[in-house]
Amino acid sequence: MSTPVLQQSLAPILVIEDEPSVIAFLRAALQRRGYHVEHAASGADGLALLKDGRYAGVISDVRMPGSVNGAEVHRWIQQHRPELAARIILISGDTANSETQSLLQRSGTPCIEKPFRVQHLLQVVERTFGKP
Amino acid sequence: MALAVDAAQSRHLPDFLKHFAERSAHMLRSLWGGVAVFRGRETELYTGARNKSAQGRESREWLFACARELRGEIAVRPLPPEQAAWFAAPQGELPAVLLFVPIKASDGERLGALTLASRNTALSDGEKRLLSALASHAALSLENFRRFSQLERSKRQWVEDIDAISDYIVVHDRSWNIVRTNRSLASHLGVPPAALVGEAMVSLRPIAETGSTLPCPFCMHTQQAREEYVAASTEKIFLVSTSRTPASHDEEARTIHVLKDITDRREAERRYRELFDSIQEGLFFATPDGRFLDVNDAMVRMLGYSSREELLRADVSPHLYPAPESRERFLRALTKQGVLRNYEETLRRKDGSLLHTLQNISGVRDARGRIAQIRGLMLDVTEQKMFQSQLQRERDFNQKILNTTQSMILVLDTAGLISYANRRCYEAGYQEEELIGHRLVDWVDATHRGEFEGALETTAHGHQVENIELPVRRGDGSMGHFSISLSPMRDEQNAVNSVVVVMTDITDAALLQSKLAHSEKMATIGRLVSGVAHEVNNPLAAILGFTDLLLENPAVPDSAREDLKIILQETQRTKDIVQDLLSFARQRPVQRELVQINNVLRQTIKLRSYDFASHGVEVEEDFEPSLAFTLGDAQQLQQVFLNILNNAYDAVQESGQRGHIRISTKQRGESVEVAISDNGTGIVDPQRIFDPFYTTKQVGKGTGLGLSICYGIVRAHGGEIQCWNNGAAPGSTFLVRVPVATDAATNAVAKEAGR
Repeated sequence: MSTPVLQQSLAPILVIEDEPSVIAFLRAALQRRGYHVEHAASGADGLALLKDGRYAGVISDVRMPGSVNGAEVHRWIQQHRPELAARIILISGDTANSETQSLLQRSGTPCIEKPFRVQHLLQVVERTFGKP
Repeated sequence: MALAVDAAQSRHLPDFLKHFAERSAHMLRSLWGGVAVFRGRETELYTGARNKSAQGRESREWLFACARELRGEIAVRPLPPEQAAWFAAPQGELPAVLLFVPIKASDGERLGALTLASRNTALSDGEKRLLSALASHAALSLENFRRFSQLERSKRQWVEDIDAISDYIVVHDRSWNIVRTNRSLASHLGVPPAALVGEAMVSLRPIAETGSTLPCPFCMHTQQAREEYVAASTEKIFLVSTSRTPASHDEEARTIHVLKDITDRREAERRYRELFDSIQEGLFFATPDGRFLDVNDAMVRMLGYSSREELLRADVSPHLYPAPESRERFLRALTKQGVLRNYEETLRRKDGSLLHTLQNISGVRDARGRIAQIRGLMLDVTEQKMFQSQLQRERDFNQKILNTTQSMILVLDTAGLISYANRRCYEAGYQEEELIGHRLVDWVDATHRGEFEGALETTAHGHQVENIELPVRRGDGSMGHFSISLSPMRDEQNAVNSVVVVMTDITDAALLQSKLAHSEKMATIGRLVSGVAHEVNNPLAAILGFTDLLLENPAVPDSAREDLKIILQETQRTKDIVQDLLSFARQRPVQRELVQINNVLRQTIKLRSYDFASHGVEVEEDFEPSLAFTLGDAQQLQQVFLNILNNAYDAVQESGQRGHIRISTKQRGESVEVAISDNGTGIVDPQRIFDPFYTTKQVGKGTGLGLSICYGIVRAHGGEIQCWNNGAAPGSTFLVRVPVATDAATNAVAKEAGR
């Protein structure tokens, strides 16, 4: 029953998130639903993977340590991976931040505020990336 | 007349008189002859040598008395037997009478009497004529003798007088020979006066150098009857006065020089002049009409003239007195008082600049009592005057500063009593009678008096106390917050004798500062809360997520499922708290639309109207009818008002009284103000009520974030929120103030809405 799912979704979802517990949860929730998941612990690692890899979509945290944050990832994808431009979901624990606010308003990119329910996550993922 | 010649030639009167008495007695064949001579009251008796034995005192007295009594020409006195022996002839024959013949001067003065002791009581005519002739002869002789001796005496006196004069006197004739000198001159040369007579005047040249080329060193202009000049030797200075007597028929012309030694006088004059010229005070002699007779150099300098001569020559009076009436005033005062001490007068220098003087003046009066001369001493006090006026200016300036400063300045004595208060104090509403002489500490709030006393004590020990902030009662009775500085003021001995207090009412500033401090505190809390919320959200996301996954897992038994639901529920609650915290710290711009606050309030009240009505809480609305619009987020503003109303509701419920909530709106300046007052229990600590997690409610009844969120929302609207207890009345009041929408903002919103 699980094999066809794997075959259908050869392209994994790239999760860019620095918080291990959040990564573990996202991986568990998405895999259980049948998605393939790869992950990067920072924005810079995420961009390195995006250069060569093929992905069904990108889920990125907004606020991350290091030089590349969610907004940077979003901009890079707009420029270098236009096919993924509409396949980005941002997750944030910090929607009060004005920078995050303006990014969301500008791009219309979907954003999930932490903490979130599993159902809410899967709804947004299915709507944006399609079913696995 | 051999007798007369005899007498005239004799220089010795007693010899002559004795001889005359003897001869007269012989010529008249008398037994005794004598001449009594009156010298004032005294009578002297001269008798011939033959009568030397006649010494009877009584007889002499009797004879003198008879002689004095004599009035007529010749008197014959019978000789009493007891006196007769005294006048007896050497052979022992006694006379019968005494004959008295008066001796009278040509002017009738009785000079004395010729007395003869005779045997016969009667005289023949021939004898009488002889006696008269003898008496006349005696009178003539006596008179001549007296004149001669007077002449001698006066001549001797004259020489003595001349010699007594200390001035040198020398008389010379036309041939320049010395006729006479006095003793002073001779002793100056070290010779007797007689030694110089006949010498040439040239020999006197060493006495003094006159520059004369004539044979007499003291003659300059021989044609003048009189001349006078000053001549000096190395040691002495002489005033040489010369008189010339013209030649007369029996005497040749004489020249008399008197050399007066004026060395001392000259020295005194010189010293006086030196003093006169060297002292720094101006000295002057002047006439009453204002002309200077003499002035010293200091006076010339003071008045700015180039020389004494210039000042003496000029009629300076009109120039000297800038105001003529001041000269009149001066003369009146001097005439009245005679002496003026420390008389102040402003004079004008030659160059027109003003000279302030202090004068001591005395007026010298003439015989009729009028001021004939003015003598004075003058001090230049211009600098002092200028210094004084500068001092005055400085004092005025300081006074001005004291009176125009916005700070209250008071001076306290060491006992803390107010001795001075500047004008600002009175402008601030204090009354003079309640300040001066009263203790400043009494105006300080009772709970802070110790603090003020301490500061006063510190200052009294010479230390400055700066900017202590104390509540002080204002002039109108209200309490104000004052910044107070105290400075010690010292006397000449450097001892603190008073304290200067500068007080500034900083009530408004303190209020502003506390607001600033509060808003800063809230901003800090906001940043903290935002950071915490973000950090909590990550683990919360994992907890919530995994709980969801576990609940979806069919392998989880039902018993565990129940526990997981509790975890889920509590996680949800935690999530809400964090959301609230983020709302408080929200930096997101509020939704901007035109909002009518009155409408927002009405909708908010409607939400709670059921509760209010069912619990008997009365709500009073006092809305300004055409309240200006504000720009903002109606939803958020409603959340603010709802929160305040909830608090009010809780407060009135708690008080147990019949609840009353009054809601009013009005426009004040560029703001809309919403005031929500209740009659509830009031607020325990209005300063902290907007702090997150500050709550007075029971545990579980509130998170303590409601008003913090309100605060965040109102600030995001550019407004402010305050609350205070009502004071006398119960309950508290919340005031929300948001800015009125400007025309530009209104237009911008309208344009956006229309797009």
